[in-house]
Amino acid sequence: MTAEILGLDGPVMWYLNRSTGVVTIVLLTITTVLGVLAIGGRPAGRLPRFVTQAFHRNVALLAMLLLTAHLVTAVLDEFVEIKWYEAFVPFVGSFEPLWVGFGAIAVDLMIIVILTSLFRTRMKHNLWRGIHITAYAMWALAISHGIAIGTDMTESLYVLTVVCAISVPLAAIYRLGRLVFDRTSTSSTTTPGGLK
Amino acid sequence: MAQVLRVDWPSCEARGLCHEVLPELVDLDEWGYPIVKGPVTKELMDHAKEAVKVCPRLALRIVEGR
Amino acid sequence: MTTTYLAPTITREEDGRPASPVPAPKEVDVRPGPALLNGIEHGPSLAAHRAQYGPIPHLDSKQLHALVKRVQMRGRGGAAFPFAIKLETVLKGSRPILVVNMSEGELASAKDHALALTRPHLVLDGVVATAKALRSRKVHVVLPGERPAAAAAMKRAIAERRDGVNIYTTTAASRFVAGQAKAVVELLSGRPNLPATSWAPEAVKGLKGRPTLLSNGETWARVGLLVLRGAEEYMSIGTPEEPGATLLTMNMPGSVPIVFEAAYGDRLRDYIPQDRHGLPAMVGGFHGAWATWETLASARVSVNKMRAMGNALGAGLVLSSPECPVTLTARTVEYLAGQSAQRCGPCFNGLPALAKEVTAVHDGHGGLERIEQLANLVVRRGACAHPDGTVRLVNSMLSTFAHEVEAHAKGGCTLKHGSRKLVGDSFNRILEVA
Repeated sequence: MTAEILGLDGPVMWYLNRSTGVVTIVLLTITTVLGVLAIGGRPAGRLPRFVTQAFHRNVALLAMLLLTAHLVTAVLDEFVEIKWYEAFVPFVGSFEPLWVGFGAIAVDLMIIVILTSLFRTRMKHNLWRGIHITAYAMWALAISHGIAIGTDMTESLYVLTVVCAISVPLAAIYRLGRLVFDRTSTSSTTTPGGLK
Repeated sequence: MAQVLRVDWPSCEARGLCHEVLPELVDLDEWGYPIVKGPVTKELMDHAKEAVKVCPRLALRIVEGR
Repeated sequence: MTTTYLAPTITREEDGRPASPVPAPKEVDVRPGPALLNGIEHGPSLAAHRAQYGPIPHLDSKQLHALVKRVQMRGRGGAAFPFAIKLETVLKGSRPILVVNMSEGELASAKDHALALTRPHLVLDGVVATAKALRSRKVHVVLPGERPAAAAAMKRAIAERRDGVNIYTTTAASRFVAGQAKAVVELLSGRPNLPATSWAPEAVKGLKGRPTLLSNGETWARVGLLVLRGAEEYMSIGTPEEPGATLLTMNMPGSVPIVFEAAYGDRLRDYIPQDRHGLPAMVGGFHGAWATWETLASARVSVNKMRAMGNALGAGLVLSSPECPVTLTARTVEYLAGQSAQRCGPCFNGLPALAKEVTAVHDGHGGLERIEQLANLVVRRGACAHPDGTVRLVNSMLSTFAHEVEAHAKGGCTLKHGSRKLVGDSFNRILEVA
């Protein structure tokens, strides 16, 4: 009865699950792009750096929220069998274990990254940084999960996913280019040349 | 002994967020590194704590000192 | 007579960094003295040392503290920090570690080098007696990276001993800043031998977070002498305000450094070799200050009196300068800029810029305002005092030799030492003076 009221066997959960999935990917992509652009410290356009930093943080937390909705709807939806623990333990399910598993690993990484960032000032900077870098892997896993599992990709959703997929590498190339340009320009030397 | 903002110079990479968040106390030199202009007064304490938290390199600390 | 003027040629090391105006000494001329350097003709062996001094008396920490306080023992840094206070700080904590810093990164100084060659057991007796008084079994000796003979001599001396205290040796890197206190603690912690931010003094929280009593070789030797011979004998020379004696290094580019022991209160000029009378000198080292011959001639070997003169005894180095002080300063600042640990932005940006400006002043087109601006930007903005010391040298050159600086600005050089012409000097070029 509850199942019928909630429409758990109907298409609503499924659509909710897919839509929260897409938005999560978009938000994660924005977060990661902001993270890439913040490397090395030149401000992004006219925005002060602390604004970009706050943006990065808030978009990440929003993505976490959407991700939670995505996980809940995935488990509740009865069209496809997904147990609650499959959100965290990879490769143990019956439905698309590989790609759902990718998603699970991404979830685990995201939890660790966000938790350590909330307690960043209480831990060794290098440890925090090492963990934070796994966010790239997390993003890549999420994108692959989305592309592989998005069973009925429409034209526009496909384009959206591709845009997300290339925007992080593009941001990285742009950032590296700027770093090299800054290093070779004669004005200021904000990074050390020799021993550190 | 007042409260002062101390820079961990080997960690500082001239990112400049401290200056954005606390311009009353922190200027930037010609290479982008922070110049701390004075001690942390009671009014500025919250902003100083924010500066400590916002530094991406965790290169600031509030300590007792001159 | 023509006045040809050339920029100082900077000789470079293999890694491209400017060479020190005074290289690491291959030999040191050590003269006998009244206290530390008394009896060096018997050789550095443990047997000779015991024959002269007998065994180490046993003291507890209270007795040791009373001794060092009574003789007002001070360190050999620019601040001349009272050893008694350092000891008190260490005693407040637990499980102290003792460090003998013989790295002597200041290449023109040779006092610890001299002690390593002639009186290593005075140094070791000092630190061992202190270790036993503090109930510490851990002593570290940091050896110089650029003075292999001194390092080998210390190792030989350590090998001769059976004290019941573990003495560990570590060799410092070959850099100017390697001897800085925090850099030494970093080295002993297994990290690169470079300065790092010190949130608490070493005596409070140093190596492994433990109270660390770190001093240079000479200070430990003085503790040794004090313990072996007592306060009365220690205070039998010197002055009531500054009892005892101290080591001085007389050096000049191109010469063998001479190490003397002078009682506090003696006239400094009595230790300056005749051939250098009339020459100005850098006192205290590359982070010290310039002094004209007039100043040197009237100076006393005294921490307080030198401070009153606007100078600092520091490590007791008197580096006489046969060439123009502006030239030597320009070369020294280039060297010091290259010796930056490359860790702190204001230093690795500011010192090379400062070196450029000082060279420009030498060449006659320098900006004194820019030097002042850079000085304000680098002082107290780093993990160590390397930039501060460099600025001190530059400012002392500008104020002591304002006359010469003006002459350089007009495209000449005064070189006040009579009509001496420098031919084929250390820069491998000829400088003729009007």
